[in-house]
Amino acid sequence: MSTLALRGVSRWYGNVVAVNDVSFEVGAGITGLLGPNGAGKTTLLHMMAGFLAPSAGEVRLDHSPTWRRPAIYRLVGFVPEREAVHPFLNGRQFVLASARLQGLDDAEGAAERAIEMVDLRESAGRAIGGYSKGMRQRIKVAAALVHDPPVLILDEPFNGMDPRQRLHMMDLLRRMAAEGRTILFSSHILEEVERLSDRVLVVVAGRLAASGDFRRIRRLMTDRPHRFTVRSSDDRALARELLEHAEVEAVELRDGTLTVRTGDYGALTRAIAPAARRAGASLLELRPADESLESVFSYLVRR
Amino acid sequence: MIATLASVTLRGLLNRRRTLLLALFGVLIVIIAALSRLSDPSDADALEFTGRLLADFGLAVLLPLVAVIVGTAAIGSELEDGTIIYLLAKPIPRATIVAVKLVVAWLLVAALVAPAVLLAGLVGTSGQADLGVANAVAIAVAGLEYTAVFLALSLLTSRALVVGLAYVVIWEGVIGGLFEGTRIISIRQHALAIADALGGEGAVTAELAAGSALIVGGVITALALVIAVRRLERVELRGETG
Repeated sequence: MSTLALRGVSRWYGNVVAVNDVSFEVGAGITGLLGPNGAGKTTLLHMMAGFLAPSAGEVRLDHSPTWRRPAIYRLVGFVPEREAVHPFLNGRQFVLASARLQGLDDAEGAAERAIEMVDLRESAGRAIGGYSKGMRQRIKVAAALVHDPPVLILDEPFNGMDPRQRLHMMDLLRRMAAEGRTILFSSHILEEVERLSDRVLVVVAGRLAASGDFRRIRRLMTDRPHRFTVRSSDDRALARELLEHAEVEAVELRDGTLTVRTGDYGALTRAIAPAARRAGASLLELRPADESLESVFSYLVRR
Repeated sequence: MIATLASVTLRGLLNRRRTLLLALFGVLIVIIAALSRLSDPSDADALEFTGRLLADFGLAVLLPLVAVIVGTAAIGSELEDGTIIYLLAKPIPRATIVAVKLVVAWLLVAALVAPAVLLAGLVGTSGQADLGVANAVAIAVAGLEYTAVFLALSLLTSRALVVGLAYVVIWEGVIGGLFEGTRIISIRQHALAIADALGGEGAVTAELAAGSALIVGGVITALALVIAVRRLERVELRGETG
């Protein structure tokens, strides 16, 4: 079992701070690194995989720094977010090249096993240039795990995958984790992290906003004030009716738009249709006004 | 491991349309040499013209042009499109990566230029091998120096192709002609010195002695290698997003 540990890690580019004083440890099992785009997830992963030097602090894999130590790649498999893969290679050649560059004794056998694992045997003979996004992700995963590393780091591995491929990849990662591997993946999609990870690290604006058990973080995320915009045939009457509900905290009618604020997401969605009926108004549209991940995260950070 | 590294490098270089276009320049020098025969010159005139053609076009234009394009792409193209990450994520000493890529790029440069120059020499002088051989060997030797310098350059700047071309045109073309003192660190002059020493039969005139050219050239090549390895060890890969 291998452990990745960050202590007081910061990274800045010029005077832009990408990662700000982050400390955590990742051990066996699946850990999800969750955060909106631009939060510093890739910078963190690249520092952990030894592709970037921390500007301050330390990144260690089993007690040795990862920066400028090519030997760690015997232990680490890395799947980058970037799609670029040598376009002139076919899938099998790409994975085989990885196996050979790892110096494996049975490179052919290892490559076949890895291709099998990501379910790409039928397409392995085709040039990667003609692969779909999901296939490209999977061939990258095959190349990263060809040497059977105890640590696997994946940057947005589910990007561009269809639901079936997504399930397959989740299954694969779960199996690898069950074998005692340390798996860390990043995502900006809540549901992916929720379904896969034992442990979650939430990164916002370069800082570690929350870490730990997913259920606790999920609760923090749902128990926050929600805002909805509503369009109906009679906004004024509906607003009056909605105010009767205890879970509605505020109603605002401005420029012909009705905005409702509630602390209880579920209760409002159940209450609104009966309220409209009582008001004699037809509901035309009910839309969450601040469901962007950024607003969820910024709420978390304020907590 | 080394064979895989070499073959991926070579395929990457050959996959670029630019590299293949370079082969056409080689054809061009042979055509010019052949055309020069049409006026039915005397042997002395043919030797002089071909000598100038090989020096002024072969050594001064063809070699640095091919070397700058191939040399800056050997690692530079992978740095540019991000595929270098697959190479750097392997437990391979960075010095090995630089050395293998340099050798592959150098052999490709030599293969693209030296045979064409050899052939142009043969055609232009109706079969006298000496001139072509001398220039082809000079190209092979100086090609290593050029390739090493341009490979190192690609790790120092993302504008290596432009900087490399500027070096060839401004330093070797203009400054080298104006100030004799700078010639000692001009790769073109190193190539000329080698060609001269190998018996250009007076058709090649060099300002430098072959010995000093080889020593300075060797030092520059070694220095470029050290710089390239140090830079590759410290290459930072940011990824596309934060």
